[in-house]
Amino acid sequence: MPAGRRGPAAQSARRPPPLLPLLLLCVLGAPRAGSGAHTAVISPQDPTLLIGSSLQATCSVHGDPPGATAEGLYWTLNGRRLPPELSRVLNTSTLALALANLNGSRQQSGDNLVCHARDGSILAGSCLYVGLPPEKPFNISCWSKNMKDLTCRWTPGAHGETFLHTNYSLKYKLRWYGQDNTCEEYHTVGPHSCHIPKDLALFTPYEIWVEATNRLGSARSDVLTLDILDVVTTDPPPDVHVSRVGGLEDQLSVRWVSPPALKDFLFQAKYQIRYRVEDSVDWKVVDDVSNQTSCRLAGLKPGTVYFVQVRCNPFGIYGSKKAGIWSEWSHPTAASTPRSERPGPGGGACEPRGGEPSSGPVRRELKQFLGWLKKHAYCSNLSFRLYDQWRAWMQKSHKTRNQDEGILPSSRRGTARGPAR
Amino acid sequence: MSRREGSLEAPQADSSVSLLPHLEAKIRQTHSLAHLLTKYAEQLLQEYVQLQGDPFGLPGFSPPRLPVAGLSAPAPSHAGLPVHERLRLDAAALAALPPLLDAVRRRQAELNPRAPRLLRRLEDAARQARALGAAVEALLAALGAANRGPRAEPPAAAAAATSASAASGVFPAKVLGLRVCGLYREWLSRTEGDLGQLLPGGPA
Repeated sequence: MPAGRRGPAAQSARRPPPLLPLLLLCVLGAPRAGSGAHTAVISPQDPTLLIGSSLQATCSVHGDPPGATAEGLYWTLNGRRLPPELSRVLNTSTLALALANLNGSRQQSGDNLVCHARDGSILAGSCLYVGLPPEKPFNISCWSKNMKDLTCRWTPGAHGETFLHTNYSLKYKLRWYGQDNTCEEYHTVGPHSCHIPKDLALFTPYEIWVEATNRLGSARSDVLTLDILDVVTTDPPPDVHVSRVGGLEDQLSVRWVSPPALKDFLFQAKYQIRYRVEDSVDWKVVDDVSNQTSCRLAGLKPGTVYFVQVRCNPFGIYGSKKAGIWSEWSHPTAASTPRSERPGPGGGACEPRGGEPSSGPVRRELKQFLGWLKKHAYCSNLSFRLYDQWRAWMQKSHKTRNQDEGILPSSRRGTARGPAR
Repeated sequence: MSRREGSLEAPQADSSVSLLPHLEAKIRQTHSLAHLLTKYAEQLLQEYVQLQGDPFGLPGFSPPRLPVAGLSAPAPSHAGLPVHERLRLDAAALAALPPLLDAVRRRQAELNPRAPRLLRRLEDAARQARALGAAVEALLAALGAANRGPRAEPPAAAAAATSASAASGVFPAKVLGLRVCGLYREWLSRTEGDLGQLLPGGPA
């Protein structure tokens, strides 16, 4: 199916309005009491035109007495009188108008082109729709909240400015069978979004696309194919608590709970923490928190208020090989580090600080692991199993290490510290 | 003056007519409702003209005041009628307005689909007109002055309004909508004034 197509530049010369029921006199020009009243008809009625195109219109006057003159008539467009040189009298009862290089319509209900009598009274009106056909929507992205629904967002082509009301319709279908379905809940997360609340299948791909339509044509986006399980997100981790770590002036402990909505499906989850100083806009991100629900921030400034947020990525649901979609950040939680007379360290991360300032976190950790191996390894075969055992040991014994910290020099405080429980 | 409580036979002659307290409370309540809805009608009109684009809303804009099926503006002689007759006319107008407002809303849903507030106001206006009309009729019944004769059939006006609105060009439809919103405001204001005549001592 073509990605987009343009309809004809439609200067849709509509037929004049049909005769109205006698009960409802709606067409302008109904005889007015006390006057030799005239009526008029503008042609074309409610045309649709491309930006930059031209319009030839006429205002034909009928009335009593017959042969009402076109002399003295004039045009306004959106309330502004049009220059006389744009008009000419075609015959005794018809005034013509020529507009060139039309701009896009000022309002979606149409530009108001009005034919006036000499005294300024309104004889007839017609609404112009000047714009562009829609361009192909693109950049469709979708996510599922806890595998129960699907929300999609897209970008309208040409930044959406067509000057005409353009209708966007999100369509979806199961890839290998089923009929086209149309999303019905629009504007849920912005002007170009739609929410599918139910009846979605798992373990099977969907095809999703967006169709844009206006008076001048239509366009269709590329098709996005996805499995719901590959685009799962969740609520932010609840119950985020940030607290001091005893009297340690450069550390804070962060704890949270895994999102309850996914507790039956969540085999693994990745978390990210970000934190910033109270008066700063710069966040620091800790993104190797893995599957834990706690972390200790180290290398912080003493006596400083920090704001902390956590978010979750529920990857690997039901064996999906794709990363999920990060949740929103949790509400900021604040805590302050204890004050200290000593100059505090600079910024840090959720990792033990090594004695070598230039060492990365992994290297520092590995160095500690090798030191531990010398004491505890019974064979020379190094393995990640042993490494995991060491990490588990670190988690269990961090409380004991806190007490031992007192005997360590302050510059090396935190060296042996691993992830907090 | 009738000794029957709540009589409207000479409501203006003696402000000390003793109405039942609950009836007086009902009159005040209905009057307050009319006052509130008049304000809403002003807001509806302002929003309506803004969304139709210029010249709607410009100071000099004066489209023909076309007659609308089943509903006309309050006549100049309205103020000189007995109050119960005025309220009957108010109730009849309020009953005729909802289908017209619905027709305007349907057309505006096509012309201004991204104007949810206008559409909501039009929907609310239809509902509020029905509510106020019913309240006025209830008052008339309580006062023994309810309409006993046949009234104009709103469904016929609705059918005419719907078909004509759908058939007409866009500009006439905009003008028609303006007319309906204007009539809505006029009749609400008229109803508020007429109810105020019933209040002991004048409007609250």
